[in-house]
Amino acid sequence: MNALTPLSARLERSDGHALVTLARSRGAVRLRDLAQRGSAKAFLPRVEGDVPEVVFLNTSGGLTGGDRLSYRLEVGEGCRATATTQTAERAYAAGAGAARVEVLHEVGRDGWLDWLPQETILFEGAALERETQISLAPGAGCLMVESVVLGRAAMGETLSRLAFRDRRSILRGGKPVVVEPLALDDRALAAAGGAAMLGGARALATLAMVGPGAEDALGPARAALGEAGVEAAASAFDGKLVLRLLAADGWPLRRQVARLLTVLRGRALPRVWQV
Amino acid sequence: MSAALLSLVQWLSPAFPTGAFAYSHGLEWAISEGEVRDAASARRWIADVLAFGAGRTDAILLAHALRGHDPGALSDLARALAPAAERLRETEEQGAAFAATVAALTGRDLPPRPLPVALGQAAAPLGLPVAEVLALMLHAFAANLVSAAVRFVPLGQTEGQATLAALHPRIGEIAAESAEAPLDALGSAALRGDLAAMRHETQEVRIFKT
Repeated sequence: MNALTPLSARLERSDGHALVTLARSRGAVRLRDLAQRGSAKAFLPRVEGDVPEVVFLNTSGGLTGGDRLSYRLEVGEGCRATATTQTAERAYAAGAGAARVEVLHEVGRDGWLDWLPQETILFEGAALERETQISLAPGAGCLMVESVVLGRAAMGETLSRLAFRDRRSILRGGKPVVVEPLALDDRALAAAGGAAMLGGARALATLAMVGPGAEDALGPARAALGEAGVEAAASAFDGKLVLRLLAADGWPLRRQVARLLTVLRGRALPRVWQV
Repeated sequence: MSAALLSLVQWLSPAFPTGAFAYSHGLEWAISEGEVRDAASARRWIADVLAFGAGRTDAILLAHALRGHDPGALSDLARALAPAAERLRETEEQGAAFAATVAALTGRDLPPRPLPVALGQAAAPLGLPVAEVLALMLHAFAANLVSAAVRFVPLGQTEGQATLAALHPRIGEIAAESAEAPLDALGSAALRGDLAAMRHETQEVRIFKT
């Protein structure tokens, strides 16, 4: 199989925007607005309980140079919601320029969002600039996970060319609380085997929780670590919990992330997640 | 030699009471695990932290502080960028001690801030070239880690100095590049360095604060 063929043949740049607004009305969290354009879609599968799930989807089949994609979710005052992506996102060798992805979520007063996108798989030569920003109103909180896989271990791929900038931030009242600007370029990849770098890992994840109770989750989070083949550690400070995870391959990482999410959320994973 | 440069060298010397010797930036964990076990592995660890971790990040923050960027906003950003409790502690405690000492020496009003912001605010009136200030800050950071490695790997004194000297070209490059970099250029890939800082929190025998 050569996943690159259909994309290199695709000359048109994809452009997609999806916006979902959730608000509380008549005692439940309901969809207030849904706008979608181009290759971005969003849907709300029926879920049990009172926490809606929003699933975003990029129908273009992957990201390549010049593509634009944006996902936005507004979670209203006092609402709790989970959002994810339908499948792993793939970034392929760029033609001209970088693919740009913007994920901008807002959580209203006393609301909560679990932003749990599936992993991003980067292929040799990919150029992707992604900005993920979750803005919290007073009393609001969020749980965010981002996983990145460098090539496909099963195919024996080791990446050497990459222009990946993935800035994740969480703001509270407009002030940054978490800023993690992951940057992997050719120079970083050349040094990636270093013990202070990736140590040869191909799959990496960050999990961050901000909001009421975030620091108290340190004990349960540490107790949920230990998946074979995954190196991970947690730290709680300044009203947040942060975890970093590294693995040789995407699967053990996914199992570890799933175990952590189950513990931290106290509920099942989004249905589209297959573990 | 200018009086300004002498002030900066004094502020960044190991004798300046910021307590730098007590912070290992996760290196103590890497040494205890045998990941840093000789001069070559120490040099690589420190070089990567300088180029892809806190070294470059702090250099970019320092450059902005030197140019008069809003210190409150830079401090918020510096705190948000700290990937682990001990890394926040390291930058805040040293920054507070640094600002207090310079304030006492100069009579200036310098509030406690994360270290690169405190240093930038203190050094801005010196009028030194930005890349030069960045290089000296990075050198002090590297020298402190080398000194931890000399004491606890351990390395010979001369071996330690050779390790530091070998980092000079890299320090110059990072300083030159960071002096011109916008805040959008902040980026990190020293993920196991962050893991080391987190794991140090639960390390049973610890001599360093971080």
